[in-house]
Parts: sequence; structure tokens; C-alpha cells
Amino acid sequence: MLTRRKLFKLGAVSGVTLLTIETFHASLEIPPAPEGLGHSFEFLTPVDRGILSKITPVILAEALPESNEERVLAIKEVIVGWDIAVSGLQPLTQQEIRKLFLVMDSNFIFSLTPRLLTGVPGAWDDPSEIDDCLNNWRLSDPESLITGNELRIGYMGMVELTMASWYTNPRSWDFCSYGGPPVLF
Amino acid sequence: MSDSKNTILDFVAEGFQQGWKHIDASRLGEDQSLEADVVIIGSGAGGGNSAEILAQSGLNVIIVEEGPLQTSRDFHMKENEAYSNLYQESAGRQTKDRGIKIFQGRMVGGGTGINWTTSFRTPTETLKYWAEEMGVLGLSEKEMLPWFEWSEKRYNIQDWKVPPNANNSALETGCEKLGVSWGKIRRNVTGCLNLGYCGTGCPVNAKQSTLVTTIPGALKEGATLISKARAETFEIKNGKITELKCKAMTPRGNAPAVQTIKIKARHYVLAAGSIGSPAIILRSENKILNPYGLVGTRTFLHPVNISGAIMPFPVNGEYGAPQTSYSDHYIETRLDNQKSGFKMECPPLQPMLVATALNGHGKVHAEIMRQRPFLQVLIALQRDGFHPESIGGKVYLKSDGTPGLDYAVSGYVWDGIRDAFIAMSEIQFASGAKAVAPVHRDAELYHSLDKVKKAIASLPMATLKARLFSAHVMGGCPMGENAAKSVVNSKGRHHEVDNLSIFDGSVFPTSIAANPMESIFAVTAKFATELAKVLVM
Ligand SMILES: Cc1cc2nc3c(=O)[nH]c(=O)nc-3n(C[C@H](O)[C@H](O)[C@H](O)COP(=O)(O)OP(=O)(O)OC[C@H]3O[C@@H](n4cnc5c(N)ncnc54)[C@H](O)[C@@H]3O)c2cc1C
Ligand code: SF4
Repeated sequence: MLTRRKLFKLGAVSGVTLLTIETFHASLEIPPAPEGLGHSFEFLTPVDRGILSKITPVILAEALPESNEERVLAIKEVIVGWDIAVSGLQPLTQQEIRKLFLVMDSNFIFSLTPRLLTGVPGAWDDPSEIDDCLNNWRLSDPESLITGNELRIGYMGMVELTMASWYTNPRSWDFCSYGGPPVLF
Repeated sequence: MSDSKNTILDFVAEGFQQGWKHIDASRLGEDQSLEADVVIIGSGAGGGNSAEILAQSGLNVIIVEEGPLQTSRDFHMKENEAYSNLYQESAGRQTKDRGIKIFQGRMVGGGTGINWTTSFRTPTETLKYWAEEMGVLGLSEKEMLPWFEWSEKRYNIQDWKVPPNANNSALETGCEKLGVSWGKIRRNVTGCLNLGYCGTGCPVNAKQSTLVTTIPGALKEGATLISKARAETFEIKNGKITELKCKAMTPRGNAPAVQTIKIKARHYVLAAGSIGSPAIILRSENKILNPYGLVGTRTFLHPVNISGAIMPFPVNGEYGAPQTSYSDHYIETRLDNQKSGFKMECPPLQPMLVATALNGHGKVHAEIMRQRPFLQVLIALQRDGFHPESIGGKVYLKSDGTPGLDYAVSGYVWDGIRDAFIAMSEIQFASGAKAVAPVHRDAELYHSLDKVKKAIASLPMATLKARLFSAHVMGGCPMGENAAKSVVNSKGRHHEVDNLSIFDGSVFPTSIAANPMESIFAVTAKFATELAKVLVM
């Protein structure tokens, strides 16, 4: 899916190499990772969790509970659900998702470059910028010569895993009026 | 909510407690070497079905299955549990370009354990096409009739007389209003409670999957089941298979462990399903298994597109038998193959399935999820493989040796997909929809038939734009009498390697143009019965 070659291509176009992406990935002041609610994370790094904690509310929007406390808990649970789901995937798919996180960061870098120049990774706190970025990915042309279909694929993967994690969580069922599995006896 | 206390009688679990032979390979401490008359790889429609027939004829049978052994008491009607435990690649398998999401079972019972119980005989036109165009012999409608009847008896395939849920009844009403032909689906169930959770494993053993019928049948005859073991390669000497090499899977089942299992048998039956069966041949890298490079080619999907509608009444399509009504109107009127024909059905509507199939994110997505109980959904299955342009996909091996599928949707089939979007929205508006949304990246909710038709006319029909799915992978080891154009003959026997048979959906030389399970039961029952005769001689 996200081959190194394509990553480089992506990097070259915007004047950022994979190396700097990786360095950036390690050094960026990402929002603090939510704790695991007792879950010990197998796949998601603290950086990944930080990113997810900012993206999840943009992806799920009104489907998340309104009260701040419940919302925070729901986001944590979405991230735990993510980790459980990804940990059960084939090793090769896990590697692809690892690369997706790398590219995701790089894309945030590209689209947020002006802000970064001011040294503020504050865009993570601006849901509308995250939404713009997700929409760029969503609408990126699958036939694009620069990124190929990778951004669109990345978008679909991120959104799908987040939706799957939330809508299998009984806490989401009120919102979508699902009564849960029938009681058998 | 039911939770983990499913206390309903589980005769399959009890059978194992009382001594049916089962090895959970993920718990093996050391490598194993085994012997049998016949080893069957895969325990789905083809594998389970063949296992009973071969075991009943007195042969010593071993069944090797990559997925876990779970029985009704393990099925809690929870989507996350089911998709990650019981589906290939946690239900995340996709074609190479990610354009089509593929659902396949991966459990003892294969696809029959999590499928939706829809049962159709192979359409006459399909059998005719195989005979006339694909060089298949002995599978005419007349010759197949006893095998359809046999399958219907063995798996209790019967008319379903319970009224449809609102999702399916909307299909009926819409078709009726438009004068589009439709029919009722037969189902393989006994004592079905009409719950609607066939896709997460039937919690009451009502669904007559191979897990509760023919696999127990084989085990009662003394067969051995090995679960969580992945068949890797065949060893070949002097034109014959001498051994099957398997790897144990880790307890979680997503990766191979270090333990190996070697099985020597007189005869080897591949029943790992489309994608799975070709993969084992490709991994074996032996020219004699694949002399013309045909293995993995002609893999068909019935590519599915989706149309969602908001109804003025609650639909609650998560409950009630998932598929009970269908329309073959656009198959029957397109048998000349000038245009791609398609079958229309309904899917079950549990929230995760809905949430992940829909487009987009944020406000728009949340709004549809809020209205989920009012959501009515139609799917259209393209009849691929009957046109020179519709050649299907090709199975390939990834860097870790696991299989993938490269499937490019042909222009011919894309046209059929566009027509299907229109046909589905017509039915939905005719059955009272307030608004309809074709599941396509660039589409939205449209509040009139005019508007949706106009939109569909200009939506780009292209990969990763229209969202496509498949739960019917077929072909990849096509059968036929011409050894240069097919992998097995019309009895499922490999053309070159005498002690290899392929008894699953991968032998179909085109798609079925109907849900494939009953076709697989009938064809493999015929094949296995013929093979048993040869082997016990
Ligand atoms: C969600 C869903 C709903 C469906 N609904 C219907 C329906 O209502 N009606 C219908 O007719 N059809 C339906 N189908 C399709 C139908 O279930 C399949 O076409 C059918 O089960 C295929 O049978 P098969 O024997 O070819 O392979 P499968 O049933 O897929 O069995 C193959 C088995 O082999 C195992 N395997 C694969 N590779 C290896 C290996 N290397 N080593 C060991 N084991 C291996 C797999 O884990 C699997 O259990 C549905 C499918 C899905 C996924
Ligand atoms: S609908 Fe019937 S067959 Fe399907 S899960 Fe429910 S009881 Fe089982």
C-alpha cells in the first residue's frame, strides 16, 4: 500500500524526505497519549494514540457523547478498540498501518507547514484543520501521479477502523438507536 | 443484552467433549507427522461437504483448517468478535488496488459458518454456459438435479415462510410497484429464531452450516479435524504429491507459529476456497501443478454496489432473517450479455457493517447513523465472467506468502454497476423512500428519483470512488475438459497430478450469478461421491 518509494516521491514533491518525516515523527510535540483504561497497548504508540485522540472526534462528530467526561472516555475506548483490532490483523497489514501513521504525520506536516514554521504544532487543536486534511485525503484523486491512490486508501483505512471501533461499542448504540443483540432466553 | 452466557444446547461442543478427534494446532508443543487416506484442506462449503462423504465411504480423513474451532456457545452476536475471529483478515481483505472489500469465512465451517443462509440452485443459464463455452462435461441441469435435491435434504434448504423484515419487504413492495420480477429466498435452516445474526455465527445452531452438519458427520465416522493450521505447500515427487506441509497458527490465529505439521495421504483434496486454494498451489512452485499458469486466474467476485434509502418508517434491518427476498429481473432480461446483468438482494444492517460501508466521516456520516433505524439498503451483485471483457481477477502471493487478489473491474461491469445504482434507487423510491444515497464517494442524499438519476448519470464509475464489496469469491482453478484451458477436469480432478482434487468454489469457470453455497454443495457432493468410488476400489 504505502511503499517506501511512494513515500519518497511524496516527500520529494514537498521537499521533505522520509528521514525528516521520521525525525519529525519522533520529535513532534504530539498531544499527550490518553491512558489505556487498563489496556496494555500492543500496536499503537503514544504518538499514534495522541494523533487518534485528535482525529477521532473529527471522524465521529455528533456520534460521540455530548458531556465532556463521557466524550473523553469514549475517545479512549475508541483508541483501545483500535489497538485490539489492529493487533489481530496479519503482520503484513500491521506493517501497512504503521506506514500509514508515518504518512499521516507527513501529510499533516505538508498541510500545516506555515504553522509549523512558527513552531507551533497547535493545529492538532484545531478540528477544522484536521477535517480539511481528512477531506483532502478523502477527495484525493485515486489516479493522482504524485500520491497515487494512497491518500484515499489511507483515509478509508483510518475512518473504517475508527467507525468499527466506535459502533461496536455499546456506548454508541443509543445514538444509532440499536437495541443490541437480542436476548436469547 | 445476551453477553457471554449462551447456555443453549450445543451438540457440536458436546461431540468434541465426547471424543470427536480434534487437534488445536496453536497448542502443539512440537512438530507433527500424520498419515491418512485423504487430507482435506479447508472446512467450508466444499471441504465440510466432501469430508462427510469420503469418511462415510470408509476412508480415513484428516481435515486441516486455518481458522478456529468455535461453536454456537461462542457466538455472541457481536460484530467485533465475529469479524476478527471468524473472517479472513478480520473482514478487512481487499483487492490489490483496495477497490473491493472481500468477505470470506475463516473458521471451522468456512463461509457457511458466517454466511447469510441464502440458497439457490445454480442457474440453468450458468450450467449451459459452462457446457457450451467452458468445456465442462457432465454438469447439465439434468445431471445436477439429483445433487441439488441431495444438498437441499442434507442442509435442510427449504422455503422460508416467515414474513420478511422491513428491509426485505421494501424490496418486494418496490419491485411489485414497478412490475420488476422478484422472488422469495430459500434458506438452509432448522428451527431458525429469525434473529438476523447469521453473519456473526448462529448462536442457536439453526443455520445448517457444515459446522453443524457434515463436519460432525465426518467426525462421527472417525475423521480428525485440525484447526488453526495453515496448509502451506505440497511436496511433489514423480508427478505425485507425497506430502502436505502445514504451519500451526499462533493462538490468536493471525500469524503462523513455529510448529509444523506434515501429512502424508493417498489423496489430497484442496477446499481452501477461492483465493485460498490457488494460493497453496502457487506457493508450492511446481510446474506440474500449474503447467499453463492458469492457477489463480478467472477469479470472480459478483462485485456488489450499494444503495441506501431513508424510509418514513422504521426498518431495523439488523433484526430478522437477513436475506429473504431477491430480484433477478436484471439477470433475466440481460441473458444475451449485451449488458452486464445483476441480482438484487438486501444485506443485514448491524451498526458496524453499516458504519463502515457508508461514505465519509464527520457530520454527514453521523447524521445517517442517527437515522440508521430508518435505513433500507439494497445491494446489486454483478454477474461477472460471462463476457469476453469480464475475465475476473488473478490471485498472487504477497511478500509473506499470503495471497492477494488483483481484480480490475472492466468497463462492461462498471456500466452494469451504474445501471444497478439506478435500478436500486427506483425500487427504493417506489417503496416509499424519502431519500436515496448511492454509496459512492461523490454522492449525497437525493430527495427525488429525478435527482438521484441525474446524479448517477454523471458519477464517475471508478475504483475507490464507487464503493464495492464481495462476499462471493468464486473461481481461480477453473474446471473443464481442455487441459490447456482449465486446472481440473469436470470431476474436480487435477489434470496432471493424479492424487490431487479441488472440491470448492474455486473450480467454477465463471461466477454463479446466484449466491454460490448450494452450487458448491451440489457440485462437490457429486465430485466427492465419484472420488470415493475410485479410492475405495
Ligand atoms: C458474509 C458472507 C455472507 C455470505 N452469504 C451467503 C449466502 O447467504 N448464500 C450463499 O450461497 N453464499 C453466501 N456466501 C458465500 C459462501 O459462504 C461461500 O461462497 C462458500 O462458503 C465458499 O465455499 P468454499 O468451500 O469454496 O470456501 P470456504 O467456505 O470459504 O472455505 C474455505 C476454508 O478454507 C480455509 N483455508 C483457506 N486457506 C487455508 C489454508 N492455507 N490452510 C487451511 N485452511 C485454509 C478457510 O479458513 C475457510 O474456512 C457468503 C459469504 C460471506 C463471507
Ligand atoms: S436468523 Fe436464524 S439462522 Fe440466522 S443467526 Fe438467527 S437463528 Fe441463526
